[in-house]
Amino acid sequence: MPVLELREVTKVFPGVIANDRVSMTLERGEIVALLGENGAGKSTLMNVVYGLLSPDHGEILLDGEPTKIRSPRQAIDHGIGMVHQHFMLVEPLTVTENIVLGREPGRFGIIDFSDARAKVAALSKRYGLKIDPDARIMDLSVGMQQRVEILKALYQGAGVLILDEPTAVLTPQEVRELFAVVKSLVAEGLSVVFITHKLEEVMAVADRIIVMRGGAVVGETRPSETDAVGLARMMVGRDVVLSVEKGAATCGDTVLDVVDLQVKDDRGLDAVAGVTFNVCGGEIVAIAGVSGNGQSELIDAIVGLRAPSAGSIALKGADITHASARASIEAGVSHIPEDRHRRGLVLEFDLAENLVLGDHRSAPYASHGFMKPRVVAEMARTRIADYDIRTPSEKVLASSMSGGNQQKVVVAREIGRDPELLVAAQPTRGLDVGAIEFVHKQILAAREAGKGVLLISLELEEVLSLADRILVMYEGRIVREFVGGEADAETLGYHMTGGGGSKLDEGAQTEAAGQAPSEGEVVR
Amino acid sequence: MLGDIITPDLFASALRMATPLALAAIGGTLCERSGVVNIALEGIMLTGAFFGTAAVLATGNPWIGVGAAMLSGVAISAIHAFASVNLRADQVVSGTAINLLALGVTGFLMELWYGHPGTTASIQVLRPIFSFSSPGGGFLAEAWRWVNGIVFSHTPIVYFTIILAVVAQWAMYRTKWGLHLRALGEHPRAVDTVGVSVYRGRWVAVLMSGALAGLAGANLTIEQVGSFTENMTNGRGFIALAANIFGRWTPVGSYLASLLFGFADALQIKLQILRDVITVPPQFFLMLPYVLTVIVLAGVIGRAVAPAAVGEPYKKG
Repeated sequence: MPVLELREVTKVFPGVIANDRVSMTLERGEIVALLGENGAGKSTLMNVVYGLLSPDHGEILLDGEPTKIRSPRQAIDHGIGMVHQHFMLVEPLTVTENIVLGREPGRFGIIDFSDARAKVAALSKRYGLKIDPDARIMDLSVGMQQRVEILKALYQGAGVLILDEPTAVLTPQEVRELFAVVKSLVAEGLSVVFITHKLEEVMAVADRIIVMRGGAVVGETRPSETDAVGLARMMVGRDVVLSVEKGAATCGDTVLDVVDLQVKDDRGLDAVAGVTFNVCGGEIVAIAGVSGNGQSELIDAIVGLRAPSAGSIALKGADITHASARASIEAGVSHIPEDRHRRGLVLEFDLAENLVLGDHRSAPYASHGFMKPRVVAEMARTRIADYDIRTPSEKVLASSMSGGNQQKVVVAREIGRDPELLVAAQPTRGLDVGAIEFVHKQILAAREAGKGVLLISLELEEVLSLADRILVMYEGRIVREFVGGEADAETLGYHMTGGGGSKLDEGAQTEAAGQAPSEGEVVR
Repeated sequence: MLGDIITPDLFASALRMATPLALAAIGGTLCERSGVVNIALEGIMLTGAFFGTAAVLATGNPWIGVGAAMLSGVAISAIHAFASVNLRADQVVSGTAINLLALGVTGFLMELWYGHPGTTASIQVLRPIFSFSSPGGGFLAEAWRWVNGIVFSHTPIVYFTIILAVVAQWAMYRTKWGLHLRALGEHPRAVDTVGVSVYRGRWVAVLMSGALAGLAGANLTIEQVGSFTENMTNGRGFIALAANIFGRWTPVGSYLASLLFGFADALQIKLQILRDVITVPPQFFLMLPYVLTVIVLAGVIGRAVAPAAVGEPYKKG
């Protein structure tokens, strides 16, 4: 008998059918992957199971018993745990406090902290999830925080664990550790639902794959019966080019020249500690690194959002070391920012306004300090067509669009400006296969047009498939340079965690072959 | 001259002056830790001061006045709780409205009940709990005079506030209620998903802050002044808010910060005698506690980190 069974679950939001008569089962000790593009209804379905949403039709059976789940509390009481994409952790509290929250051991309302700590330690030992029970969440790496979330679900007595896009924020090493953890959980008798849109993960970890598209289940298969191409076709509904086709780099004039650049982070520490490199026209240079090794500060310095403390930056021979963001745009630097919600878009603005940002002062969009709404609207309509932005009109608010379409708006604005240099930071973060394919095509088109492209990405697949040259950044320095095609994910991962550098001792090198060196993980 | 300023009474009055600030500040701490900004402390304190006085005038019993002050604080803070928790209104606007409402209602009821604006008749006040004599001379008697003056000269609410600060601190870090409270202001959704009610937690916290700010008002009228005057809180609610921030959103921190502001207030009264030596208007010394507030906040506010979700209404689902 399946531990969890959904029968014809339907969930309707105003104007959208998020789940259309979805049925699925989960057996004890099984890992089921729920695969689908963003907006396919995977998270909605699992939020229904977790009691965050109530279904309009259909029923949920737990161990064969039809059950109504009206709140997360009831889901937890029925042994269902969920690790959300955005962690439900209270940052200033300790690991122990977070895990026991809502079910604290103790009497008369007084928490027995030694008992709580002992319980956490016991769980952590049983499932091999090493953690410091007294550390504050805010001092932990993302991978460690996820561990706390899993421990929290286990503490609450979860027999069914739902992981919502668990790998989106992890480094390759952390992903591998997570897979090991998931496998040890099912070995202990748990059942896991693994929500993802990444094909290789599904192939690596799932026992059974349920593919969703447009709110409905479109197929069910096993890793042994399919491959990545077949899965992608099921998921998107058409053939998808997974590998990027590109010609050899035609290196023109030097576009970006960075010499001995040093940049301090918000705390005044050297985040970028002397970096020298260049990007030439018609070339994609990628910077690979674990998040927090100075990439963000480096980008900020190049696009004029942060003042370097030493060194120089030149664009086509002209010095832009101390240029402001405005001057840097005018000099020909375009920037697809890491965080499209915080820096890429003004969510409360409509599409046309978002598409003109940065060019709104200059002709043809403005003259004598007044904007020309008609010219802007016309430009917006052209861009919407050219970049396949799915929207009824240019007057739609950015906040009401899907993540993929929002990113297309940013890409359309930044590439449409016809820059000399395109700085693309995590340009496909959180996007699904179809949208990723599109963004990659646009970046390659910029390269073909002779632009210099600086790509910063945590996705090794992306770095490997797009880059003509790869610079590995570790602790604010470029520790290694590869020509495209020369490196593979393993080698990159090894250097990204300091394996090749002198910063870590030999212990890290021997460890890096098997598991991630823990020293590498805790770097900010 | 210095001997006239630094007396046991200076420190005793610092403790007295700190008490209403600390009560409101601890109330503010509880409220903001739950994720609700409470700039209504000023108005709640004024409400408590008025209804406390009115109850004593009606019954002649100061303890009934203390109860009435706390109840009226709870009642008016319920408006703030309903607006910020259920209606998800802007908490600063709601708090401002309550401050204005309190000013208007107390002034109106003054006219209605007592027939005149300004100040009420004198009321029966709460007396200091202990009264020891300080006899004789010599060093020992002098030392006793200091201890007696600073430690044993106070009214009940002054002692209660010190105990409250310690107990609230302990409760915040050792009990389930405290853990839920601390989590509420940081990440309400995390609290909700483990099955603890965000609305209830915030309601309780706002009402508690109302009771404490009301008690602060009672301390002003029933222990310190002995009558009610329109707008007599005179910005104390805002200084309490500053003390809460300076105390980093902890009860003991709030108390110690209030003590600093209370000391500044006590000192400025003592410094008034300097007017015989240098010619400055009395307002110069009156200004000192407020200047201190500004300096302290400018110095520490950058480093003090507020609860992450403070001021953000929570919507379920």
